[in-house]
Amino acid sequence: MNNILLLEDLPEIRAWLKSLVLQVFPTARITECSRVADALMQVSSGPRFELALVDLGLPDGSGTDVVAALRDNQPEAQSVVVTIHDDDEHLFPALQAGAYGYILKEQSREQITEQLTRISSGEPPLSPSIARKVIKYFAEQAKPQANAMPEVSLTERESEVLLRVAKGFTLPEIGVQLGLSRHTIADYVKQIYRKLNVSSRAEAALEAQRLGLFRR
Amino acid sequence: MPPAHAAAPRLPAIQTHRRQASGLVTLALALLGLLLAGMAHAQAVVRPVTSAQAVAVAEGGVPDWDKARTVQLPHEWDGQWPGPTGLAVYRVSVEPQSRDGSLVGVLIERACSSAQISVNGHLLHQAGRMAEPVARQCQEPRLVAIPAALLQTGSNTLEIRIKGFAPGEVASRTRAGGLSTVRIGPHHLLAQDSRLRDALAIQLPEVLSGTLVLMGGFMFVLGWFHRRQSYLAYFGALMVGWAVLLASAWATELPWANRSTELMLASLFGFIVLAGIQFMMRYTGNRLRWVDAGLPLQCGVLALSLVAAGPARLSLVASLWTAVLAAQTLAAAWYTIDAARRRHPEQLWLMVPLVGLLGAGLLAELVAVQLRLDVRLAQLAQLIAPLALIGLGLRLVQQYGRALQSAEQGRAELEVRIREATAQIERNFAQLAELKVEQVTERERKRIAADLHDDLGAKLLTIVHTSDNDRISTLAREALEEMRLSVRGLTGKPVRLSDALGDWRAEVVSRLAQSGIEAEWQSPSDDDVPQTLSARAFVQTTRILREAVSNIIKHSGASRCSIRCTVTEEDFQLVVQDNGKGIPVELDGRLDKGHGMASMKGRAKQLRGQCLVESGPGYGTVIRLTLPLEQHVTSA
Repeated sequence: MNNILLLEDLPEIRAWLKSLVLQVFPTARITECSRVADALMQVSSGPRFELALVDLGLPDGSGTDVVAALRDNQPEAQSVVVTIHDDDEHLFPALQAGAYGYILKEQSREQITEQLTRISSGEPPLSPSIARKVIKYFAEQAKPQANAMPEVSLTERESEVLLRVAKGFTLPEIGVQLGLSRHTIADYVKQIYRKLNVSSRAEAALEAQRLGLFRR
Repeated sequence: MPPAHAAAPRLPAIQTHRRQASGLVTLALALLGLLLAGMAHAQAVVRPVTSAQAVAVAEGGVPDWDKARTVQLPHEWDGQWPGPTGLAVYRVSVEPQSRDGSLVGVLIERACSSAQISVNGHLLHQAGRMAEPVARQCQEPRLVAIPAALLQTGSNTLEIRIKGFAPGEVASRTRAGGLSTVRIGPHHLLAQDSRLRDALAIQLPEVLSGTLVLMGGFMFVLGWFHRRQSYLAYFGALMVGWAVLLASAWATELPWANRSTELMLASLFGFIVLAGIQFMMRYTGNRLRWVDAGLPLQCGVLALSLVAAGPARLSLVASLWTAVLAAQTLAAAWYTIDAARRRHPEQLWLMVPLVGLLGAGLLAELVAVQLRLDVRLAQLAQLIAPLALIGLGLRLVQQYGRALQSAEQGRAELEVRIREATAQIERNFAQLAELKVEQVTERERKRIAADLHDDLGAKLLTIVHTSDNDRISTLAREALEEMRLSVRGLTGKPVRLSDALGDWRAEVVSRLAQSGIEAEWQSPSDDDVPQTLSARAFVQTTRILREAVSNIIKHSGASRCSIRCTVTEEDFQLVVQDNGKGIPVELDGRLDKGHGMASMKGRAKQLRGQCLVESGPGYGTVIRLTLPLEQHVTSA
């Protein structure tokens, strides 16, 4: 890890997070921001980031915008939401915008470093309530509509994983149940996040077109 | 009045009107048949006197019988005879007595305008004043009984003294001076005849006058207050006018001179024609401004011209005016009928019988008078027009009533609709208000939640990660979790029990796994749990479960933990069992407070459930949580 973006408005927490990140990635260069506007500027003109830790509730806006900007400008960067909001109402938009998982801030240093390591190695977390929301989202996308949607749908296996997560099974448990390795399960989860983002972007574009924002 | 409005109620009434018209005709025929039968009977015995000695009376009042001449009865005065006094005496000889010894009577159908009857110089009868204002008794049949004592064996003289007017001085020929045939015979036979004649000439006109005035007045008021039905007012005026006209048959003693009465009666025609034409026009929805203005003007001109014409030429001028008015009426009738035929043919069923019957009545009267037919024919004919008017009036009132009824019905329907709409609006408003309250509450909750997160949450978080004291940072972390759950309880929607079980399972199993404790979770499949939990129940249960798991991790030293969840119709039960060392009992017999048992029980109690803890050293711990379920079943 070379360049890491850290967006957090509280100085103490930002410092704490920075020390934590340095613990996991000792050689990383960390770009600290406390406002959405700063972060957006960094995303458009700053270095290429590999990882971004983004707080959601900020004084001048929502971190979701930064996640979306990263997705557009630096698709190779991994956005991770760092938040005290654990409810899907706050998290889901960020996931739709392209975040690859989330970390709850009040967890202990050990928990967070472990999660950070997992996310950066390609094992994003997925809670039952988020899984339910994803299931519902794709079920609605599958409904016949007047607008032709680009075909983004979940595979059977992905759906299976989502359903089991929704019922409260942990990812290792699901791996055992389906006879798959934890890496394969993690790949499914990543695919689910990716498809959620692609489908949401297509939906947003279609909505914008419908409203006449784009002309062909 | 818009034509469409006038036409609306008339369609269904056509049949009714046909029946009315045929009923009237039947009635008239029956009446006529009865009269003729009575006449034939009387004529069998009664002797009609068809000639008399007549003498004009000069200023002195004493008739000069030398100048007498024989006249044929009925005798009508002309412009010269009997001259300016308007007084004449007729003399007829009477047989001494009847053949069967019954009372002898004299019946005079018509002695116009006022008469004295005497036998052998004895005055037997005088009904009204013989000088101005002269009694107007032209139509009144006079029956006089002749006492046998007055009759001499030889020749008896019946003298009839008449005060009347020249034809030129009266507007109608029926009121010119003259004497009809004199009938002499048995009194009882003549009385029968007289009763019939009286009914025809006096009583029926009286009754009809009264009826016309009542109905006309009623309709006038009705039309006056409902300007859209102004034709009713004109029809009412027409009826009242006709009632006055008809009153000339029976109103005998008037306080003013003949000339004033005649002027009034002649002018009355103008008014009647005004009302009639306006009625026809407005009824069919044809309103012409110049007619509105012209007709009253014509009335004035008519009255003035009559006054200007002078006493002798009254009849002539009145006749001219009658012709003019008749022509106007015919023209107006033709105009309205033609207009109605093109626009509302259904109105003809009312207009044609009216004009036809009125016209027929007036024509019959005119013919009877001009051809000097039996006076009773003219009297009968003059009843036809009022009867037609009354029939028509009834029909108009019926129409009005029906229109009123339908309007009332429409109003009632409208009222019902308004009530319904009002109720709907109120319902909508209530719903809207409820929705608004919900929205405001929701917004306020969200604001509070956001504030808690952003301010309190941020500060607690800072404490969590900056405090050197582990206990403080743990407490702050717990406080943060509590706060988040509180916010969720504040803002959350009801949670499906199956979803809640998923969340709990994920949390409990992963926490236990992290602590190296083997976890076993049993819960019913999704299909068996359609119930929902309120956000509050979900949050409190989450806290209880979290506390229980924390206790196991921190204090129990257990290696295995099983969680069983069972759901019944009314409640659900969570049983958390571990194989640890159990909770030590304090000296006072209570379970260790530090393990949060009291708060778990308190939370369960808040939800109207219970939390039982069974524990003993070496036996592990069993926590049984039972909570009632909401009775409604979610459809999702």
